[in-house]
Amino acid sequence: MTRLRLNDAVMHRRVLITGIGIVSAVGRTVAGLWESLTSLDDPESSDRNAAPRHNGLQQGVADFTGRIDDFCELPAVTRKAIQKSLKLMNRETQMGVAAGQQALQDSGLLLNHDPERIGVCFGAENFPVMAEDFQSGVQACSDGSGFDPNRWGQDGIPEVAPLWLLKCLPNMPACHLAILNDLRGPGNTITQRDVSANMAIAEACRIIKDGTADAMVVGATGTTLSSVDRRPSCLEDSVSNSRHEAVCRPFDLRRRESVPGEGAGVIVLEEMHSALRRGASIYGEILGAGAASWMTQDSIVSGRTALVKAMRQTLQRADVASDTLGHIHAHGLGTVMSDIAEAQAISQVLGDFAQTVPVVAAKSHLANAGAGSGMLELIASLLALRHGHLFPVLNYSEADPACPVRPVRNCHDAAGSCFLNLNLFGRGLASCVAAGTFRG
Amino acid sequence: MKRRIVVTGIGCVTPIGRTIQELQASLYAGRIGVGNLTLFDATCFPVRIAAEVRDWDLSQVGVDSRRWQHCPRQTSFAIGAGLQAAHQAGVLDARIDLERFGVYLGCGEPFEDFQTFAASIHSSSRESGGVESDSATQHALRVFDPDTERESEPDMPAMHLGEMLNAQGPILNCISACVSSTQAIGEAARMIRQNEVDVMLCGGAHSTIHPFGVTGFQRLSALSTRNDNPQAAVRPFDADRDGFVIGEGAATFIIEELEHARRRGADILGELTGYGSAQDAYRVTDSHPDGRGTTSALQRALASAHLNPEDIDYINAHGTGTILNDRVETLAIKHAFGEYAWKVPVSSTKSMLGHATTACGAIELAVCLLSLQSGIIPPTINHEKPDPQCDLDYVPRNAREVNCRHVLTNNIGFGGQNAALIVSRFDESSRAARRAA
Repeated sequence: MTRLRLNDAVMHRRVLITGIGIVSAVGRTVAGLWESLTSLDDPESSDRNAAPRHNGLQQGVADFTGRIDDFCELPAVTRKAIQKSLKLMNRETQMGVAAGQQALQDSGLLLNHDPERIGVCFGAENFPVMAEDFQSGVQACSDGSGFDPNRWGQDGIPEVAPLWLLKCLPNMPACHLAILNDLRGPGNTITQRDVSANMAIAEACRIIKDGTADAMVVGATGTTLSSVDRRPSCLEDSVSNSRHEAVCRPFDLRRRESVPGEGAGVIVLEEMHSALRRGASIYGEILGAGAASWMTQDSIVSGRTALVKAMRQTLQRADVASDTLGHIHAHGLGTVMSDIAEAQAISQVLGDFAQTVPVVAAKSHLANAGAGSGMLELIASLLALRHGHLFPVLNYSEADPACPVRPVRNCHDAAGSCFLNLNLFGRGLASCVAAGTFRG
Repeated sequence: MKRRIVVTGIGCVTPIGRTIQELQASLYAGRIGVGNLTLFDATCFPVRIAAEVRDWDLSQVGVDSRRWQHCPRQTSFAIGAGLQAAHQAGVLDARIDLERFGVYLGCGEPFEDFQTFAASIHSSSRESGGVESDSATQHALRVFDPDTERESEPDMPAMHLGEMLNAQGPILNCISACVSSTQAIGEAARMIRQNEVDVMLCGGAHSTIHPFGVTGFQRLSALSTRNDNPQAAVRPFDADRDGFVIGEGAATFIIEELEHARRRGADILGELTGYGSAQDAYRVTDSHPDGRGTTSALQRALASAHLNPEDIDYINAHGTGTILNDRVETLAIKHAFGEYAWKVPVSSTKSMLGHATTACGAIELAVCLLSLQSGIIPPTINHEKPDPQCDLDYVPRNAREVNCRHVLTNNIGFGGQNAALIVSRFDESSRAARRAA
């Protein structure tokens, strides 16, 4: 046994993907996502003078308003329960729950399930305190001279909704999904920003592999949209300022910034025999995962080194030769430094093959949904596996010599049977998942 | 062969002890950390008591505290506890594979400055109602301190500790309400067990002693309002209990694979033998009335440790002192432990520590490890008037000598989250280890 391989007790339980669901900037159905990802395939994409394209970026998910009709078709009892709970959900929770219900419905997992054997694991942002929840309290403590904090305890607190605090807990998407669907297995929520999604997948796989659960609903939800409630993202200097039209151009020489967005993705992971027994539709298999950190003052060195380690771990654990990868789904943030770090990592791990293997970056279509992006991107690649071909990196036309990778420019590249999904956080954290077509 | 996981370092910063030695002395003396709330002016608040960490400064662990002035309190606690654990375990000096050394914490949500937040809302409120978002954003960008804001993320303690300890493996934080740090420890152990890493720094830190925290818990009617008698405020399992008192603090552990610890000659403080996590799937506000999620977590912890209920010598309960929690937790212990529930001593150290929210599980695991080592279990302070629905042995008032072989800590969180951990006295050929093998 090699050092990094799982021990024998957990090796033989394989983890398959049997359901997917999304809420994204380009729509709130999986079919709509794929249609959008592949709809802009035209030769003009390589024209550097062509107008930049974006599918609803900076507007958030316009057609997800949080009303019950925005959720997928639901059994009456679930619909009623969600409707009742909506006031307890912030937007990230609503998106996570909507994507989760889609994924569960898609998987058919709940038709005959043992609630004790199904868990939930999510990746989420830190949910901020929303201005709207405190506005009437602040007003009650204000007069012409401004807000008087000495009145808050007496006049402000009673104006805050009794269950406000529960709306702010990042574990709420997972908890609502467990409650709505009677899932009593393990439940956890990882709050590690942009690398959360792959980490949630890795944790769920461990739980299935050691026999603690037979299936896990694994999701990620997030936003980087700016507002008074999103100050940390506003303060990042490489985030687009809303006063001009932002364009996400992963790996392009003219890239400048990431583009704020929002969204959620959920997959159902299931132990192989459980999935096969019930004849589930299989999107693919999780082959391995890895995560690493490397923190220095130099963000390119930090990101590159962490990602190199995470990718190598993942390939080793998945027992996948790097030259058999069909494609790589890059983090593709679209900032100068992050893309250099990522491209150099890919190049370092894959060597000459980095010039050949197609790289996709769905953030060019979907913007940066924070913790949610990693899962949306994995789902986009699963759809590519199913359809057999990839989708273009939008707005990519001019190669950057500092980014020695091959971004996909159209829909003609084959997706292959195996890919790496990369998550990167600028301070030197990286997580990686290897997934591929299931071969029994 | 199942990889066994041992604890080789413990660190803590709590209202009744800023080191593990101080914590032990306070626990067994029944010292209560609850007093008047001083971290902000709570004069007009309906709740004016808290269990605060007093006289704490990072210089106590040899760190220049000026560098950390922009960090929230939980980061300071986490760094303090983390460095204590790392020093005790000797991982800073040891030759370990840093790529197989990670950090997994359960730190909660730091809150922004309340007055600045309120001023932003006030300046951007429309007369017709609602907040002018762009105006509020621009105001916030002007008035919030960027350094403080960057530090106000729950993952920052894990990131800082990873950097300080040069851990190059996975670094992550989880939030699952009051079971966060319990789960961080349990999931870190799972990573070691599945041979992804050899060593993890794990635990949690939190402070909700803040206008937002008091507002939120007060609106949930979860807090004791015994402002005139803070020392008597937390009364777990007592008939007159009226809620919990917000606490704060941190506890962290170095856990590692047994052979790894042996090879480097580390002192073994206990073995992490069991972990169970379960969801109630009932309501986000309160536990299932039968305590089904808690029961499952307890049963899963026992099963994963290959232990029977009778093997457990002490249970450190979640024991918040709220009407519902204590009743449901008692019921769940009965479901999981059967007749033995009435024999096993159960205590709630929140009666002394207050409720450190996401960090409570880690702090309570530190308490359990102390009991394994000392053979003394801490009492439930203020347990004076029995509640007919809480009829177990809650170790009232005084610490008790118990030969502890295996002890369990249980936690329950909003959203229906439940988790339990079992630590055992390290025994080369323990029954649990033989069964697991």
